Amino acid sequence: MISMIQFSDVLAWIHQLLSSCMAPWLVFIIELVVASVAAVVALLVCVIIMVYMERKVAGHMQLRHGPNRVGWHGVCQLFADIIKLLLKECFTPTRADKLLFVVAPVLSLCVSLLALAPISWGPGLVLWNTNIGVLFVTAISSMGVIGILMAGWSSNNKYALMGAMRSGAQIVSYELSAGLSIVAIVALAGTLNTGGIIESQANGWWILKGHLPAFFAFIIYIIASTAECNRAPFDLAEAESELTAGYHTEYSGMQFGIFYLNEYINMGVVSMVASTLFLGGWQPFYLPFDFAWAHTFNDIMALKFMETWPAWISWVSLAWPLVWFFGKLFLIIFFMMWFRWTFPRLRIDQLLKLEWKYLLPLSIVNLVIIALLVVLGLHF
Amino acid sequence: MSASTIIFYILATLVVVFGALTVFSRKIFRAAISLLLSLTFVAGLYFLWDVDFIGALQIIIYVGGIIVLIIFSIFLTHHSGQKLPKAKVSKKLLSGTLAVAGLGFTTWVVSQFVFKPAVGVTPVEPNVHNIGLQMLNYSEYGYVFPFEVINILLLAALVGAIVIAIKKSQETEK
Amino acid sequence: MKALYNYLKEVAFAFVSLANGLLLTLKYFVTPWKSIITENYPDNRNNPSVADEFAGEVILIHDENNEHKCTACTLCQLACPNNSIQIISKQVETEDGKKKKVLDKWVYHLEMCTFCKQCIDACPQDAIKMTNSYELSCFDRSTLTKILNQPGSKLKEKPKVTAKVQE
Ligand code: SF4
Ligand code: SF4
Repeated sequence: MISMIQFSDVLAWIHQLLSSCMAPWLVFIIELVVASVAAVVALLVCVIIMVYMERKVAGHMQLRHGPNRVGWHGVCQLFADIIKLLLKECFTPTRADKLLFVVAPVLSLCVSLLALAPISWGPGLVLWNTNIGVLFVTAISSMGVIGILMAGWSSNNKYALMGAMRSGAQIVSYELSAGLSIVAIVALAGTLNTGGIIESQANGWWILKGHLPAFFAFIIYIIASTAECNRAPFDLAEAESELTAGYHTEYSGMQFGIFYLNEYINMGVVSMVASTLFLGGWQPFYLPFDFAWAHTFNDIMALKFMETWPAWISWVSLAWPLVWFFGKLFLIIFFMMWFRWTFPRLRIDQLLKLEWKYLLPLSIVNLVIIALLVVLGLHF
Repeated sequence: MSASTIIFYILATLVVVFGALTVFSRKIFRAAISLLLSLTFVAGLYFLWDVDFIGALQIIIYVGGIIVLIIFSIFLTHHSGQKLPKAKVSKKLLSGTLAVAGLGFTTWVVSQFVFKPAVGVTPVEPNVHNIGLQMLNYSEYGYVFPFEVINILLLAALVGAIVIAIKKSQETEK
Repeated sequence: MKALYNYLKEVAFAFVSLANGLLLTLKYFVTPWKSIITENYPDNRNNPSVADEFAGEVILIHDENNEHKCTACTLCQLACPNNSIQIISKQVETEDGKKKKVLDKWVYHLEMCTFCKQCIDACPQDAIKMTNSYELSCFDRSTLTKILNQPGSKLKEKPKVTAKVQE
């Protein structure tokens, strides 16, 4: 995408336009608000698509139709559900700790939205361009468990408490292997900045360039992050068959809706991180080979042929990185749904055994191999 | 006052307020949550000072690790919806005096220290790259020795935990 | 070394078996027209496709002469876990002056039936079966208590088995 319109140009142009008619501090605040609202809205649109997608994927994998009554193939089902949730009473049990009970869903929503800050959506499209990008996301996702623990404790209900404890044990242990597989890619890319990691994949995604170890790191990350999102087969925190609904048993109406939304936001964030680290974020597909056909392929993928076209057409190329970004996002989300509707739920001892006896040792060995690759310069 | 000063005072107030709530709350889980918020706002202070790495570590270690452990032990030892018994007056007095003494001592030390701007020293960018280099630096003023000492300490703790955990299961087998 | 080999083998096997499951669900997902087994129930009400094995309402089989095979042995009543069957029998006198127990009323409480099919299995005469009707709801609860033997029906005479001389 050389010599074509870039996001940074568009952003600079908007900034100038605003500065020309307002005080600098006002411009700063407006930009802050608009950028964060835009990121949240983009994520919410993704969540709407995800919920519909989940129900359809679930249906078809279980030999059902999925929602097919409200609107064409049930596309409006979600809106009907939201209206229902909004109209329901948000009930608080008498013996619950009222303050924490009300704060818990809001807190967990805030925490999962915080993780959006360092995500790079496109070239130059990032809310907070920080040198600790991926580390920040890890830090925030380790905070995610607090909301669940709070909900579990304040409900004053044994199912909720058990669900919260399970989810605590689960998140604390799976964070390790998720972190280690993130470190593997950070070692390859040499930076924690999300934009920097994506740019380091301009000549091939890490999952291809990093040989088998990178692929293993990808698998470990997907497993561990599925567990961190509390999704089946790791949904012990809400295990319907044993704990009615786990930590959100006592929640109703939109408070429950927020927990539900939260699960999908977490999924979105995790998939964004996975696509940033392993699948090149907004970079188009690139074959790291030195053949003539591979070069042609790469040029087409990078939209090189549009350079000679008139300038107004090349506006279209602005959307190209976004297409790749969201494409990868939904690919990984599809993987997670696929797991959810295929595998049965693990027992708590199996869950901890999987982490401590399999994922953690394997990811440590994997990290050592990747470190060797980096030191010897064996990756592309 | 610039915006960052205002934000500093807001964050500092929140740290102190939630720290006080931690001590004064009679619901143990609320105390834990207040401690959590207090530590999170400390991380906020780090972010304000542009030491992002330390801020992120503050969140990972204190919020994601230690507080979750504290909450776990609360879950295992307390009933939800119960209040802690009121502390004895003698206890209150003792801990109050100790706290005030500690505060006084710290204030005295800080007031004795002469803050002067560093001259002739190039400030180090506190980014991850430099921190990593400094951590494993074995020349003068490098941190490799404390780093390794802490490594050994943590390793010893890990092995100790495993030994404690394994001993039980062997005894039951016999 | 052996332990390590076993460990890695276990991991590899786990991946293979997980992949098997994933491939199956993927097949279902990409070929919905083949795999979906849901009935579009209220829409296809006029020509529903119900499996023959579908267990619906219990009926007593009557043939064209209005005869059934129930001997009022009450085995089905004993087998029913929900007490939804009541066999009411009466004593009649046959031509040759013997007293005989015959079925008077075969009372079926549909509202209590869970369609478990145990009565069908218990019946030694194969006198009852389950239809595959499923639209069983109604507005009046009393209509759910049914008498299954049709008025005027009687026990089907067994073809006389001439006692064979044991060989
Ligand atoms: S199907 Fe089951 S419940 Fe119904 S009458 Fe027969 S034995 Fe009783
Ligand atoms: S229906 Fe069958 S089991 Fe029931 S009383 Fe008649 S013969 Fe006996």
